[in-house]
Amino acid sequence: MGRLSILAEGLASHVVTEAYPKAPAEVPEGFRGRPRIDGGRCVGCGACANACPPNAISVRDEGGFRVVKLFLGRCIFCGRCADVCPKEAVVITREFELASLSREDLSQEVRLALARCAVCGRPYATLREVRDVASKLPEGLRPLAYLCPDCREALAGKYVVIGRGL
Amino acid sequence: MQRASASDVVEGVVREALPGGRGGVVGRPHEGAVLVRVSRRFLKEFVKRLIKGFGRRGATVRYSTGVATDYRPVDGSFRMAHVLAVDKLKTYLIVEADAPPPHPRIPSITPELPAAGWAEREAADMVGVEFPGHPSPGRLVLPEGWPEGVHPLRKDFPYDRKLGVAEALEGGTYVRGFSSPSPHSPGVEGRPTALIPLGPYHPALHEPEYFEIFVDGERIVGARYRGFFVHRGMEKLAESRMTIDQVPFLAERICGICGYTHACAYCQAVEAAARIEVPERALYIRSILLEIERLHSHLLWFGVAFHLLGFETGFMAMWRVREAVMRVAEALTGNRKTYGMNLVGGVRRDIDVRRAAAVVRMLDEVERGFKEFCGHALKLGEVVERVRGVGVLSREDAVKLGAVGPHARASGLAIDVRVDHPYAAYGFVDVEVPVRDEGDVLARILVRYEEVLESVRLVREFLRGMPAGGLRAEVRDLPPLRVGVGATEAPRGEDVHYVVTGRGNTLYRWRPRAPSYMNIPTVPVMLEGERLANAPIIIASIDPCFSCTDHAVVIDVRFGVRRPLKALVGGGGPLG
Repeated sequence: MGRLSILAEGLASHVVTEAYPKAPAEVPEGFRGRPRIDGGRCVGCGACANACPPNAISVRDEGGFRVVKLFLGRCIFCGRCADVCPKEAVVITREFELASLSREDLSQEVRLALARCAVCGRPYATLREVRDVASKLPEGLRPLAYLCPDCREALAGKYVVIGRGL
Repeated sequence: MQRASASDVVEGVVREALPGGRGGVVGRPHEGAVLVRVSRRFLKEFVKRLIKGFGRRGATVRYSTGVATDYRPVDGSFRMAHVLAVDKLKTYLIVEADAPPPHPRIPSITPELPAAGWAEREAADMVGVEFPGHPSPGRLVLPEGWPEGVHPLRKDFPYDRKLGVAEALEGGTYVRGFSSPSPHSPGVEGRPTALIPLGPYHPALHEPEYFEIFVDGERIVGARYRGFFVHRGMEKLAESRMTIDQVPFLAERICGICGYTHACAYCQAVEAAARIEVPERALYIRSILLEIERLHSHLLWFGVAFHLLGFETGFMAMWRVREAVMRVAEALTGNRKTYGMNLVGGVRRDIDVRRAAAVVRMLDEVERGFKEFCGHALKLGEVVERVRGVGVLSREDAVKLGAVGPHARASGLAIDVRVDHPYAAYGFVDVEVPVRDEGDVLARILVRYEEVLESVRLVREFLRGMPAGGLRAEVRDLPPLRVGVGATEAPRGEDVHYVVTGRGNTLYRWRPRAPSYMNIPTVPVMLEGERLANAPIIIASIDPCFSCTDHAVVIDVRFGVRRPLKALVGGGGPLG
C-alpha cells in the first residue's frame, strides 16, 4: 500500500525546481546580496573596513586621495559594512549574479580628496569627513577640525579657552 | 537556582577528589561551569577519582573537548584544559594542568577517558604538548611531511607564515592510511585480509574522508579512519587577526549545513566568559533559527540516507519538503544558509509579525509533507529491513567513545545539550528527547524522525512565547583572559566552543569542537562484522560532517617526494 500512496503523493506534489537561469529567480526582501558604496555619501572613515570579517574592504591613502576599495572576491555578504556605516553610504542590494570573466568587475573604488592640516600641511583625513565634523562643532571650535591630530593636541588648550569664552 | 545547586554538587565532588596542596577549586568561570587546576603529576589520579566520585552519585563523566593553549606570553607555561561534561549535574567541568617549556609534558588521561584520545593528539600536533601514556600517540591532524617541532597554534608561529620545503619522511614509502601493509591489518585464521579503500571522497556526502576497510570475503573484519584533509586554519586566523564580532561569521563557516549552531556556541562562550546578559527576545530568535536549521539539516540527511539505500523517490521527496525550510530561512535572515544573524550580545535582525506568519505556514507544510511521506516510507520493507540490525553501536561503546547527538540517543543515551545544559531559550520550554535502545541504523532514522516533529513543535512554542524587547546587549571592552564554554545541541550532537578572551576585544584562544569529532571514532566499531555493502549507510548514519571535524587541519602534501608544502593555504587532499 505504501508504494501506491507514495506514487499518488508524488503525482500530486508541485514542482519545486525553478526554471532559473531560464527565468529570473526571485529573492526576498532583505536578501543579503552585493554591497555597494555610495561614493556621494562615503566620508572615508574606514568603519566598514574595521568591521569587515574577511578584509574585503581596504582603505589606503595615495597621492592626496583616500581610496576605499571593496573587493567582492573576498566578500562574504554578511552586511556588517552597512550596519556600521555612520553615513548610510553602504547599501546591501539584492544583486547576486556576480560571476564575471574580469576581475575588475568584482571591485568598487571610492576616491576622496584628503584635507591637509592648516598648520603643518600633512594630509590627515578626507575633506568630506573634516567638513562633516566641523559642521557639528560649535562655531568657536570649528578651526580645530582643520588641524591634524598632532597640531590639534598642541593647540587644543588655547582653542578650548577661546571657544568656551572663558 | 537549580543549576547553581547542581554546580555546587560538582564542586563538592571536585574537592573530595583533591588532596590538600595539589591545586584547588579555582572557581566558577560562569554559570554552568566549574574550573579546577591541578598539578600535572596528579592529573591522572584526579580524573580517576572524579569518575568514581561522580559514579557514586549516579552521574557519568563524558569527555567533551580538550584545549591546549600556549600561555607562555602570559605566565610562561603551556596549559591543557580538559572539558568534562557532567550532564546529569548540568555542568561543564574544566580541568586544567600546566606544563613548563621547552618540552611541555602532561600525562595522558586517555586510558581513563578513551574519548580524550583525539583531543590529546590534536593538542600534540598543534601546540606541541606531549602526552606520555597515550595508548595510540602519533599525528592526527598534521601530515607526515610537516616538520618536527613546528606547532601552528603556538603564539610564536605567525598566522601568515609560509613554510618552505617540507622534508619527506625518512624512507618515505609508507604513508599512514594510504598503503598496505597496514600495521593494523587484522588477518583471519592466518590468511591476510583484503583492503578496500572507501574515500577519500564519500560517495554520497562529497566530503573528503577516507576509510580503510579490511574484508574477508564480504565480511568487514576491521576498519580504520583517516581524515583531517581539509585545512582552513580557522582557530589561528581568529586568534591572530579578528575581533570578537568578526568571528561569528567565521564560526558559521565551519559547517555548510549546521553553521548557525557554531555561531551560537561561539557567541555563548564569549557571552559567558564576559558575563554579558543577552536580551530574552534575542535568545528566542536564536532558538527559532537553531530549530529551523535542525529541520533543514535532518531533512537533508533523510534525503541522503534514502539515496544511499537506493530509494531515490525518498531523496527527492525529502528535499522537496526541505525547500520550504530553506525559503523561510532566506526570508528571515537574508540567506538560505550562513544566516549571519549573530553578534556577541544578541542578534542582528528581528522576526516581525509578517515573517513569523511565514514561519508558521512553513511549519504546517513541512509537518504535513514529512509525516505523510515518512509514514509510508518507513513502512517499506526495502527501507526498514535494509537498516534493521545494521551498524549496531552498543550503549557501552557509545559511552566509552563519547558519542553525542541523535547517534548517542539511538544507542540508549539520554543526552541532549538543550536539556542538560540549557542555552538560548531552551530553558523556557520543555524539550522532548527521543531515545531508543536498539543502537542500529534504523534506530538513528527513527530518532531523527521524532526530532523533526519535535523541532516543528518547538518553533511553534518559541513563536508563541517570544517576548518583546531589545535584540542586542551593549558590548563594551571585554575583560581579557576570561575562559568561557559555549555548547549547543547541533543537528549532529553536542557542539562545544571554548574561548579565552584577549586584549582589545580579541580572542586569545578559540577552539570549536564539532559533534562529528566525537562520532566518527564510533564508525570503525560499527563496521566490524558487517557486510561491505552496508558500509556507506553505516558511515552516513552518524550524519558525519567531515569538514567541521577537520576545520583546524593542515594538509597539502604528496608524500615520499620533496615538494613545496603549501602550509596554511586551503587545499586539496593528498590523493587529489
